[in-house]
Amino acid sequence: MNDAASRSSPSRPRLRGPSFFRALRAMPGLLRVGFAGAVAYRAEFLIWVLAYTTPLIMLALWTAVAAEGAVGRFGEREFSSYFAATLIVRLGTGAWVIWDMNWEVRQGTLQRRLLWPIHALLTYLAENLAALPMRIVVAVPIAILTSLLLGNIWVRDPVQLAIIPVSFLGAFLLTFLPMAIIGTLSLWWESSVALYDLWLALYTVFSGYVVPLELFPPQLGAIVRWLPFRQMLAFPVENLTGLIGREQALHNLALQWSYITVFAVFAALMWRAGIKRFAAYGG
Amino acid sequence: MIEVDRLVKHYRVHERPPGVGAAIRSLFSRPMRVVKAVDDISFKIAAGERVGFLGPNGAGKTTTLKMLSGLLFPTSGNARVSGYVPFERNPEFLRSIMLVAGQKQQLLWDLPPAETFELNRAIYDLPRAEYRATLDELVSVLQLEDLLQKPVRQLSLGERMKCELAAALLHRPRVLFLDEPTIGLDVTMQAAVREFIRRHNERHGVTVILTSHYMEDVAALCPRVIAIDHGRLVWDGSLTDLVRETKPEKRISLKLAAPATTAELECSGARVIESTELEVKLQVAQAQLPAAVSELLSRLQVVDMTVEDAPLEEVLSDLFARHAE
Amino acid sequence: MRRYLGLLRVQLKAALLLALQYRLEFFMEVFMALLWSGTALVPLYVLFSMRDGVRGWTAEEMLVVVGFFTMLKGVLASVIQPSLSQAVEHIRKGTLDFLLLKPADAQFLLSTSKLELAHLADVLAGVAIIAWALAHLPGRVSLFGFVLASLLLACALAILYAIWILVVSLAFRVVKIDNMNYLIVSLFEAARWPSSIFRGALALVFTFVIPLALLTTYPALALLGKADLSHLATAVGVALFLLAVSRVVWTRSIRAYAGASS
Repeated sequence: MNDAASRSSPSRPRLRGPSFFRALRAMPGLLRVGFAGAVAYRAEFLIWVLAYTTPLIMLALWTAVAAEGAVGRFGEREFSSYFAATLIVRLGTGAWVIWDMNWEVRQGTLQRRLLWPIHALLTYLAENLAALPMRIVVAVPIAILTSLLLGNIWVRDPVQLAIIPVSFLGAFLLTFLPMAIIGTLSLWWESSVALYDLWLALYTVFSGYVVPLELFPPQLGAIVRWLPFRQMLAFPVENLTGLIGREQALHNLALQWSYITVFAVFAALMWRAGIKRFAAYGG
Repeated sequence: MIEVDRLVKHYRVHERPPGVGAAIRSLFSRPMRVVKAVDDISFKIAAGERVGFLGPNGAGKTTTLKMLSGLLFPTSGNARVSGYVPFERNPEFLRSIMLVAGQKQQLLWDLPPAETFELNRAIYDLPRAEYRATLDELVSVLQLEDLLQKPVRQLSLGERMKCELAAALLHRPRVLFLDEPTIGLDVTMQAAVREFIRRHNERHGVTVILTSHYMEDVAALCPRVIAIDHGRLVWDGSLTDLVRETKPEKRISLKLAAPATTAELECSGARVIESTELEVKLQVAQAQLPAAVSELLSRLQVVDMTVEDAPLEEVLSDLFARHAE
Repeated sequence: MRRYLGLLRVQLKAALLLALQYRLEFFMEVFMALLWSGTALVPLYVLFSMRDGVRGWTAEEMLVVVGFFTMLKGVLASVIQPSLSQAVEHIRKGTLDFLLLKPADAQFLLSTSKLELAHLADVLAGVAIIAWALAHLPGRVSLFGFVLASLLLACALAILYAIWILVVSLAFRVVKIDNMNYLIVSLFEAARWPSSIFRGALALVFTFVIPLALLTTYPALALLGKADLSHLATAVGVALFLLAVSRVVWTRSIRAYAGASS
């Protein structure tokens, strides 16, 4: 029935990827069920959302600083917009797949996912993507409140406005993919989650989460501009609030999606290797 | 439809021998030990058969099942299921099989079963009409109407198992692997599950491969039994043949009106296995059965008598003990 | 005899190696704990490369607050959080009953059931930060200031403990409290900075958080010679109040739990 099968030998089996179009057709259903799951968890979800206190605390800190004089081109209003936008971007681009992956590998429930005729990373993606509507529902009132309190701080350029959703999706993928890569590592090492902690620490510093990247000392600034962390947060924030112009926004967009491509390929390759190992050593 | 040829699965496990010297040496070179989970197994299963895998814990039953469903790569040997090589994980292959493990749940925990069904519909890309028809059939046969909208965590173990089975069969797999499906269920539910599987197999021609610790599962469901011990195939044939060849003795259970001595009992040619005041269990060779029975009935005041095969557990432990020699 | 000596030597080596294996993980955790404390200093560093002070606090003075925060966080993470998540696990798995059968007080047992020593590194780091900051500040710490700071720190610990007991008591009703735990940790992050930061228009938003910030600001003020007994009175009052409330809530919850499960 399947002569391709005869070309492979047990010691080096050819792992065929699933048919891409069937997988795409599955996405709406997966997203719908994922969304139902997110809604079922809405109470917990609200608390996770409330726990994003860092942007607000940084807002307090930096506006207190700016009250006595602007820092660079950031006055009180600029700092307030920046950190309000940080909160909104964080809300709209969060993922948690690494915890799921780690849990499933530990508990052995990865088996269920592997029996599905759809690539596991796609099912993970659908689950994380499915929660975004809920997160946006929380982000929108915050955006409205920000507008009421601070006035119109948003970017006006039409191209940049169009870039907003793309940059958000990109930031989401840049959050998801490294998580997926590190999560795949748990097929080899149990404590790969510790690596994520390290990644998170770097993110906290280099993504503009606690201080706008502009304010970094110039020697550091050059490196920071090219790291992926900037594309995970600072770029969408700066685009949203018009801190960067059209040209810079497009440039960063290209950089963001280049990183995504690299990470995506890497994630797929890692996953394939991980499954081979998993299947060799027992589920 | 399922062809297994000299299938082998070896694990290399790091050895941790006791003793301190070994612990230090293990810093430099870690000795490996080979665990032969499955050691050269071959069998063929035709479409529509119901086959039971029997064997002690760690015998290799679950490992074989996982290799047949593509979750594990064999170390050597070949396997074909529905013409596919399982461990290539061809999506068409994955669409044609299903593995249900009694201890590993596949239902989404905080959502109603209906959502898991929808999820499976999306994953297996089932056309709406077909999906509805299959779902309605499964719901009516398994009586799931009241359970569909309740969150899974609120269902009892038996109800959950029924929903698991429904979810597993939505995409109409040709091959169904069941790994301890009735574990933890009460007696009525076990019987219901068995009945459902048997009916499903008869109606739809689904090949069923079952592993279970419960002898009743295998005895009730599987005309054919494959016994595995220490990764090796020890028996492949019908259950009745297995009993007849391994432990052909019959068991006689007696209820007496008045106690009898061992000597009196054993005059019949049978051997006493258990005896309390008025209840006795005897074992006798098949050939001597009629003579023994008439002796017992004539000599003793028998209130009730039952004649049956040796319990399956004993048959199997005999089989495995014999194989180990 | 020689054989036994040899064996002994080998035994000791093995024991050392075993300890070493776990020590590796231990050091990894210590490293991560310190790394996190370090990343939090980044905004401070950037800030003070451009400014001399914020709302009357100089860099060194702010560092004292950061130091106290790091210490408290270390105690939280090493002593309070692990044992109380253990408690939640007991509740979830239903094994709390075993604990309740023991003749000792359940709250005490649960509070001391599990320790994660790696985070004690944070306590040391906190002390180091404070010491460094004080060394770079004019003037010296008075004995009064030191004693006051210690007492205020003790009150802060007591208040944190009481809050955690309240959160765990909640677990009896709402089994999944990982995120409540996380929420409180996130809110506590505000205590990294002097409480005077949270002023102005934002004060309203931060009403929940300002009391937490006082936990670290007060001891810092004491060391800097800017606190007096009124601060102590407030802190002790709040601590005693919260401890009493949490004890009551806890005993009620335990009683309700024991009554409910048969």
